[in-house]
Amino acid sequence: MQQAKRTWFRRSSRRPLWQSALLYAIVIFWCFIVLFPFYWLATTSVKRPIDVSRGPNYIPYVDFQPIPDHWEEMFGSQRKSTERHFRNSLVSAIGSTLLSVIIGAMAGYGLSRFRYYWGRLGWDNDNIAFWIISQRFLPPAIFIVPFVLLYNFFGLVDTYAGLIIAYTMFNVPFAVWIMRDFFNGLPVDLEESARVDGATRWQAFIRIVLPLSAPGLVAVAIFSFIFAWNEYLFALMLTNFNAITMPVLIAGQNNTRGIEWWFISALTLMAVVPVIIMGLLLERFITRGLTAGAVKG
Amino acid sequence: MSTVREDRLMKRVFLSPAVILLLALSIFPLVWSLGISFTDMQRGGSTVARQAAAEGITEGVGFLGLGFELTGRNYERLLGDGRLHSTVRNTMIYVFFGVMIQYVFGLGLATVLNQPFRGRNLARVIFLMPMMMTPVAAAYTGRMFFDSNPLRSPLAHFLREVSKALGSERGITVPWFTDTGWAPIAILIIDAWQWIPFMTLILLAGMQAIPDDIYEAARVDGAGVLQIFWRITVPILLPISMTVILIRGLEIFKIIDVVVVTTGGGPGSATESLTLYIFEQALSNGNYGYASAIAYVLLILVIIFATIFLALGRRWIRGAGSGVE
Repeated sequence: MQQAKRTWFRRSSRRPLWQSALLYAIVIFWCFIVLFPFYWLATTSVKRPIDVSRGPNYIPYVDFQPIPDHWEEMFGSQRKSTERHFRNSLVSAIGSTLLSVIIGAMAGYGLSRFRYYWGRLGWDNDNIAFWIISQRFLPPAIFIVPFVLLYNFFGLVDTYAGLIIAYTMFNVPFAVWIMRDFFNGLPVDLEESARVDGATRWQAFIRIVLPLSAPGLVAVAIFSFIFAWNEYLFALMLTNFNAITMPVLIAGQNNTRGIEWWFISALTLMAVVPVIIMGLLLERFITRGLTAGAVKG
Repeated sequence: MSTVREDRLMKRVFLSPAVILLLALSIFPLVWSLGISFTDMQRGGSTVARQAAAEGITEGVGFLGLGFELTGRNYERLLGDGRLHSTVRNTMIYVFFGVMIQYVFGLGLATVLNQPFRGRNLARVIFLMPMMMTPVAAAYTGRMFFDSNPLRSPLAHFLREVSKALGSERGITVPWFTDTGWAPIAILIIDAWQWIPFMTLILLAGMQAIPDDIYEAARVDGAGVLQIFWRITVPILLPISMTVILIRGLEIFKIIDVVVVTTGGGPGSATESLTLYIFEQALSNGNYGYASAIAYVLLILVIIFATIFLALGRRWIRGAGSGVE
């Protein structure tokens, strides 16, 4: 205990006491701002409807008696619906993540290791990379009409394939951008010695480059997954029953059942779980992958 | 020799999937919707096609017999559409104030997280949490908090109690979602709550890349905390700041989910965003031609924003000079 205290003081020895106090005050205040909504969701999901509307009730067992009914409902009578939407979200997110990672890694590697020149446009690697990333920032609203027409024509409305294709389109630019930066930072020597030993380009890419770029791939995968998991506009537009994802389900609670805050809270918490798990496990990767893309950008 | 030929092939193999995907799903729809914006295309047939159907004509209707007419009417209609003008204004407000609030808070929190203190790693993880919530869910959560009934919302309860304690007789209630002035503010706060972490994350990464000796030197020269912040941290972070502001700005141009869930665009069209309006024109009203024309307005706004911003950014960065970039 004594030891810990001493290190604490030493670490902040340059800092006057008022600064430390201010620092901790800000940190605690902001933690409250961030955590209280999560706390409120958690408690609302175990409140009786009357406790939600006649409150506000803050502390379980003191202000109100928590009940598991809404969670039971979600996994009981509503189980089929919950499972279906959760699965839809998972399938479309994982599917588009895999595709984005593969396509992004390939293009990123190409742009990092080869020299392209698109004669007619006069574009070199940098122009191509910029063109690719610029696609990420087009407003999705511009795609609404053409996508509705295309998807109706090809029968892709309300299918997994449809969602996966759309999300891959949105994720690939970012994936290419991050992977190109990542490969640029990776020394060529290893690949070259492998190729001297008789490996083809492709073999060198699969066996040597990809394993070395795991952190970049993971960062890309996380971002793609989170984007697809949270996406709302296209899911709303391109699904109507079978392929409805969690965000559309949650947003739709408003219309179909009146506003049942307790049920929405439970659904919301469930939708957050996969993302939080990924985020917390791989927070380190996120930071690294992002800085690779952002600091240079 | 063979490796050269192999490379020439592989070079295409690596890049083609991404390029083909973007040509098919991004460039083609982009060009196509420009075309659609000059037609009277609607769901279930254009106006000419409907008239023709009513008169019993089935073939050779409209432009080249394609069943629609070429027209500039959509663009004329833009000028007189009051609802469009208010959605443009709302979107600009979301972008401008959204970026400003998020940047200021993001910079502040990144500065805090850049200090050594106990529990810093935990605080960093906690600070990132809002980013992980589905935006739709964050919007619902916001709706619970900005409910103006103090019996339901902890925020309304808090505001009432505080204002009572400060001497107001019945306590203040803010009509968050029903007042045309407050509703955009509530939406701005919800979006800020969710995305400040993004700013924090990247600015923090930028700060951690600043070598310690620079600070050390400044301290030796007797610079104070604030001076160090304004004269060293902020200028060095300028390029990365421009990047995050640009990214967030472009993202906010797309805002729709928060608006749909909280106000649905109301009261009136006080909170409606451009994307929501386009969505409604296209999917609720089926006006494909007009929706495409508005989408192009949005695209032009986005391009103007990005161009001005990049131009200004380059000048500021050069102004702050000192060969940082």
